[in-house]
Parts: sequence; C-alpha cells; structure tokens
Amino acid sequence: MELKERIETIVGSTGEVRIDRGNIVVEVKEPKKIIEIAKKLKAEGFDHVKSVSGVDYSDQGYFEIVYHVSSYSTPELAKAILVLKVKVPSDNPRSPSLIEIWPSVEMMERETYEMYGIIFEGHPELKRLFLPEEFEGVYPLRKSFKIKEEGIMA
Amino acid sequence: MYDLINYLWETGLNLLFSPEIFEPLVFPGLIAAFSLLIVVIWLERKIAAIIQMRYGPYYISRHTEGALQLVADLLRFLFSEVIIPKSVDKIAYVLAPIILFAFTFLPIVVIPVSKDFAAIDHEYSLLIALALMTLYSSFLLIVSWASNNKFSFIGGLREGFLSLSYEIPLIISALSAAVLFDSFNLIEIVEKQAAMGWGIFYNPLAAIVFLVVIIYSTSRYPYEIAEAESEIVIGPFTEYTGILFGLGMGISYIKLYSMSLLYAVLFLGGWEPVVWPLNLHPVLPGIILFIKAFIIVAFSVFLRAVYPRYRIDQALRIAWWKLFTLAFLSLLFSYGIKIIEVMG
Amino acid sequence: MSEEGYMLLQIGPQHPGSGHMRMLVKLDGDVIVDFIPDVGYVHRTVEKIAETKLYIQNIPLLEKPILNDSGNANLAYIIAVEKLLDVEPPPRAQYLRTIMAELSRIASHLYGIGILSILIGSSTGFMWAFGDREIFIHLMQMMSGARITYSYMVPGGVRRDLPDQFREEFRKAARYMRRRYKDYEKIIIKNPVTRARLEGVGVLSREKAIEWGTVGPNLRASGVAYDVRKVEPYAAYEDIDFEIAVREEGDCYARLLVRFQEIMESLKIIEQALEKIPNGKILAEKYEKMIQPRAKKLVEGTGRIKFPAIYVNLKPPKGEVFSRVESGKGEITVYLVSNGSPKPYRLRFVTPSFRNLLTFKNLIPGHRLADFPAIYGSLDYFPPGADR
Repeated sequence: MELKERIETIVGSTGEVRIDRGNIVVEVKEPKKIIEIAKKLKAEGFDHVKSVSGVDYSDQGYFEIVYHVSSYSTPELAKAILVLKVKVPSDNPRSPSLIEIWPSVEMMERETYEMYGIIFEGHPELKRLFLPEEFEGVYPLRKSFKIKEEGIMA
Repeated sequence: MYDLINYLWETGLNLLFSPEIFEPLVFPGLIAAFSLLIVVIWLERKIAAIIQMRYGPYYISRHTEGALQLVADLLRFLFSEVIIPKSVDKIAYVLAPIILFAFTFLPIVVIPVSKDFAAIDHEYSLLIALALMTLYSSFLLIVSWASNNKFSFIGGLREGFLSLSYEIPLIISALSAAVLFDSFNLIEIVEKQAAMGWGIFYNPLAAIVFLVVIIYSTSRYPYEIAEAESEIVIGPFTEYTGILFGLGMGISYIKLYSMSLLYAVLFLGGWEPVVWPLNLHPVLPGIILFIKAFIIVAFSVFLRAVYPRYRIDQALRIAWWKLFTLAFLSLLFSYGIKIIEVMG
Repeated sequence: MSEEGYMLLQIGPQHPGSGHMRMLVKLDGDVIVDFIPDVGYVHRTVEKIAETKLYIQNIPLLEKPILNDSGNANLAYIIAVEKLLDVEPPPRAQYLRTIMAELSRIASHLYGIGILSILIGSSTGFMWAFGDREIFIHLMQMMSGARITYSYMVPGGVRRDLPDQFREEFRKAARYMRRRYKDYEKIIIKNPVTRARLEGVGVLSREKAIEWGTVGPNLRASGVAYDVRKVEPYAAYEDIDFEIAVREEGDCYARLLVRFQEIMESLKIIEQALEKIPNGKILAEKYEKMIQPRAKKLVEGTGRIKFPAIYVNLKPPKGEVFSRVESGKGEITVYLVSNGSPKPYRLRFVTPSFRNLLTFKNLIPGHRLADFPAIYGSLDYFPPGADR
C-alpha cells in the first residue's frame, strides 16, 4: 500500500507502522517524538483528529494514548484512518499535547486527562470537563477504579 | 324611608353609569379588559394550536374548547405563594408591577366610547393618552431593576432601548392623525372621521406605522424581545412568582388593548357607524369600538404563530430607519392632504 | 454583578434555552466576549459502564446518550463489534439497517430543526417539526417495536424483518413530508425574520471547520463534502445512489438548509432501499444456525429473532477496531478494544455533539446574546450526546 510506505518514510525510526484491519497503525516509541510525527502527518494532509482515547494497560505498566487521525480536505486520505499510538508509563503518565498541531484534540485531551490522569504537556486548559469538583485525584476510567454495583432490588 | 332608598338607588345607579366611574371600571376599563384578556389569551393559544396542529387549551371546560383555561390559570396564580427573594428591593419589587398594571389601564380614561361618553373629555386627550402610554417602560425598568437579577436587568435594558425607539414613531404617527383631523380631541377626531371617512383610508402610512408600533411596543412577535424566553428566561419578570407574575403576564395584553382602542379611535372611525339600537344609550356605540379594537388585538396575537423573534439590534434598526422614516413621511402626507383640502 | 465592566451570565442548566448544560457567558453590553460551555451535567460514564457489561448489553447502553438518533448510534457500535467478530450480515439485513439509519436521521434532523425554531422564537416551527418527527418514529416503531430506543441491530443482522404494511406506510409518510416541506418553506425557511436571524450569523469558515474537527451537517454547511456514507460506505450505502448536501456559506441558515436537504435526500434513499432490498435472511448464518429448533419456527413465522444463547457470552477475539458512521448530527466513532473476554476492554464512544463542542465554544464569542441560542440551535448540539 502506497500510503503505508509514505507514512513509513515519515515515521522513520521513531515508530513502527503496521496495518490492522485496514487502518494504518503508527506506534510511536517515545512520547516526545509524537509532536514531530504529528507535524509531518499534518503536512501530509491529515487535518483533524476523530478521537483521542486512553487505554489502561497498567497491569503491564503503561497507558496507551490513541489518536485516530484522518482528513477532511484530501478525499483520498479521508478514506484512511491513521491510528497514532503512544505509550506512557502508568506511574507518571505524561505526553506532549497535540493541540498546537490539531486544535480538534482540545476537548478530547481534556477528557482523557480527567478520566485517566494523563497529563498533556502544553495543553492550555487542562481542567476537568465532565466530572464534578469532588472527583479530585480519582480517575474513573482507570482499571483501578471499580464501580460499586448496587444490588438488584427484588 | 322608601324615598331615601329610591334616592340612593337612583344616585348610585347614576353614579355607576356616569362616564367617570363606568368607563374606567366597567367598560371599556377593568371588567371589559379582563374579559377581553380571557378571550384573547384563549384565542391566541387556540389559533396557535390550530396552526401548529395540536389541541391547545382542552382540559379546563371541555365543552367550551378550553375557554376557561385562563380563569384556571389566574386562580392558580392567586393561590400560589408569592416568593419574595432576599436579594430584591422589597418595596419596589412588590409595588412596581402593581403600579405598572394600574398605569397600563390609565390611557383608557381619556378614550371616549361615544360622542357623549368619556371619563375625561379634554381638548388634548390624544396627547394625554400618548403621555400615559409612555409611562409603561419606566415602570418596567423599575420592575427589572428591583428584581436584582441579571436576566431581569437585561430584559429591562432591552425594553428601555425599545421604548426609546418606538415612542417617536408612535407619537409622530398619532400626530399625523391629529393633523389630518385638525384636532387633539379624540371625540372630535371620530366626529371628523364620521364626516370624512376613516383615517386609515386618508393616511394608510400612519395607520401601518401605528399598527407596527402596537405590535412592537407590546412585545408581540416578531418583536418579543424584552421577554425572549430562550435568551433571557422571561425578561423583567424572571424573579416573580404567584399573582405578581400573573400581573406581569397580563400587562402587555392590557397595553395591547388600550393601544388598540386608541388605534380604533384614530384610524378605524372609533364607534362609527352608530346605528339602531346603538343610539339608545351613549355607552352602546362603545361595542363597535370594542369590536374594532378586538380585531387589532386578535391580529397582533396571531402573529405569534407566524414569526420568530428579531434580534434587538435588528428591531432597533427597523424602528429608527424604517418606522421613524415612514412615520415622518406620514406626517408630511397628512400635511399634504391638509394643503390640498385648503387649496381645493 | 460585574467584573472589569463585564457581566457574567450563567445560562442553564435550568434555563429555557440551555438544554442540559451550564454555560458561562461573559457579556460586554450585548456582545459576548467569552463563552465557556460547562458540560457534564448529564454525564453518565457510558465508557466506564460499557467495560462492565457484556457486548450484547452495550447495545441499549450506547443508544441512550444519542437518544434522538439512536438508530445510528446503534449501528456504529454494531459495526465495530462485527469488525471484531468478522461477521458479515446478510444483504437484506444491510438494507434494513440502511432504512433504519435514514429514518433515524430524518427524526434527528426534525428534532434539530424544531429546537432551532423554538430557540429563535418560532413556536410553529418547533411544533411542526416535533409533530412530523412522530411519523418517522412511528415507522421505526413498526420496524423495531420500540419508539425511541430501537436496539434494532444486533451483531450479524437485525432483530426483525420488515413488516408488511411498512411500504405503504412509508409511501404515505414520504408523500406527506414532501408536501409539508412546502409549508416549512413558507413558515421557516423563507420567513424574513428567520433569515434575518440566521443569515450571516455564526459563520464557520471551511478552514476553521476542518481545524476544529466539526462534524455532520455543520461541516457540510461550511463547504466540506465529507460524509462517511460516501467515504467509507457501510450497510447498503454502496448500492444506493444519493447526493450529499453541501453548502458554502457556513452560517446558521446554511446549516438549517443542509438539514432540510438531507431529510429530502433520506426519503429518496429509503425509497431506493425499499426498491432494491433483496429477499433472504436477516441474521448471519453463523448465528441463525444456533437458534434453537423450537424458536426457529417462531422466527420464520413472525420475522422476529429470538436470540441464540451465544449472544449472552459473545467472546470476540483479541484485537481492536475503529468504526465510524454518519449519524444525523454527524460522525459517530467507536474504538473498541477486546482482550478476548466477554466484556469490552475499552470502548471509546465519540459522539458528534462532543466533537462539535469545540466548534460551539469557539463560534460564540463576538456575537450578540440573542445570537447565542441561534448558533446553539443551528449546531444541533445535544448535551446528553456530548456528555455521554
């Protein structure tokens, strides 16, 4: 696939590129490198982020931040979904924010911050979005947060 | 003894039917206005419901298509608690809507119902009516200021802006009727119309401007800006509850009614034509006047189902560019007619 | 009351024009200088709950945030699950899904148009749109048996076959809607006051729309011809000939017009789908086999699926998928990570309203207070959808 090769040249040695169920997955090795890659991807035509998700693999010692990137302005790229993944250690989850490159991540990075406690460095407004004030220090989407299930009333 | 009772009865009846009492209290004043309120609000809801393909008022008095819904609403307002918030200016908060309600009635005292029946028959009764009408916005400002609520405040501010812009076209278009009929006396104006023909045919421009100003100043759609629900809750009356809120709801209708009466007198020939059996008693021609005013009121409330609302700057632009210019032209037009009359 | 000469106005959540959210508006006179949408009032942690529920249980869960367009929300999740399971539904089911998704889109657009109308003060537009929405809800009820939460699509197919009277009912509905469009034209679209309120207000340029990742009709009203149905056809959209409504202006009025245009286009899509729909099964063979013999007779007789037991502990293989569908309000994306257990390991559910939140936030400042409800309504922003 031509697009995959193009992306491989962009990513170079900073990450791994593979194809998973039709989507091009880029696994960035180091969080610091993601900005560089994102800048190049944007120049390539990937102009917006569809979703930013955190995934908790803390049993293996890391969180994964997943950006699903695609394009509105370039019709060929619109068909493709580029999955940009970066791993951050779960004891100190920090990753540079991509808001400078893709402003569309603003709210989604905020949500990932409040749900996982992942700090996006450089995000201008890293505050809670959905949760009430008393949720300080608790990150509900981490696997360590257990939902207290209420018993079924007979 | 019998003579005394008879005497009291006679004088009482005379007093009641004297224009000074009868007009403000019974017709076309308080009682007539209240019945009109009930009918008009019902009509407004029903017309909107028919256009919008729904039932409208239905559960209260099913046999009359829900006509008594407003009575039920009023009763509910009467018996619901009036909550006075801590942060308000209590005296102004309570008194302002009551005074406002009373003052919206006042213009009715100078509006005659027939040749010999007016509470106050003054040489300048038109000017008195107009002056009393302009009191409305200043008391609405007090209402909004006393509420100490941001939405009320914005609503009052909007009303202030609007009143500054509608009063001038209102007064000019009324004056062009006065010029046309050479009088400030409302009775004389109607008399002239009986002789010459209705004002609306002589100066349609002034009639149109006045009609738009009625809709504009009484917060009817598309100029329902001071109370815009989706923007500022209910404007000046946001903090009000119970019967005080009920008053607030009624005030704009009362104002609409009194302005429509004035409109009927100025442009629709007032109580003319007086035909049998209306000439039996001086009050009876008032029925014609009332019907004319009612048509104007019904038309104004019907617009709710047609238009969204303008933004305030758009409304102000309409008032200053279009209404003001047209009102001014209508004044010139009246003078033109006068000149032609004098020359020819 | 004021801060540096500004007025800070809190709109909502108990406000007639706010919906289920609080918004902080900083006013300089009548002009909004700063706008903070304080979302989260109806947040219900859908993504966390989804991790504790079985795959099949998540179907109704994910419908609920996007209640007024639940057909499409349902579809987005089911496509993701099917990608995981590697199941292809039979063609008839694909067509039925298309019909459901389009009906849902029409209902969603009518909802949005109604809300926009009442926010700019047109009660007639509101009542009409909500009344006419009922017709399409009725059609969806015929298909699925439920009024709002259809849960119509299941992994591998749909729950019910098309009822006999559906074609006739739809023909009536389409005729009615086309006739009604002329009424809407008179009372909303061409109403001078509507135009004064919406034209040139809340202009979203093409560049900004792309930058902020705007979705749905709002994006298309800004001149970006992006529609998932064309870009990555799902269900039966590949076989159907339709156009996507695109306008260049990018203002509130263009967004309203795009919605109306899409309603008319959706009617055409459903007509085509009803014409082309093939006969056959409505559930993938893999699962149909597993229906118990006793229940099979019922399925054949009524066209209604009795779930085979496998659905209860549906165990997709390990992996992760990403699905997108074009719902009425815009693109819904589902990112699903499975670790091989009967519950999703991670379910990321990005709703169109959540993605439009940034647009909403950035579009408001600089406008007048009265423009705020107009822009809010024109974006078809649905707080429960954004909060999830």
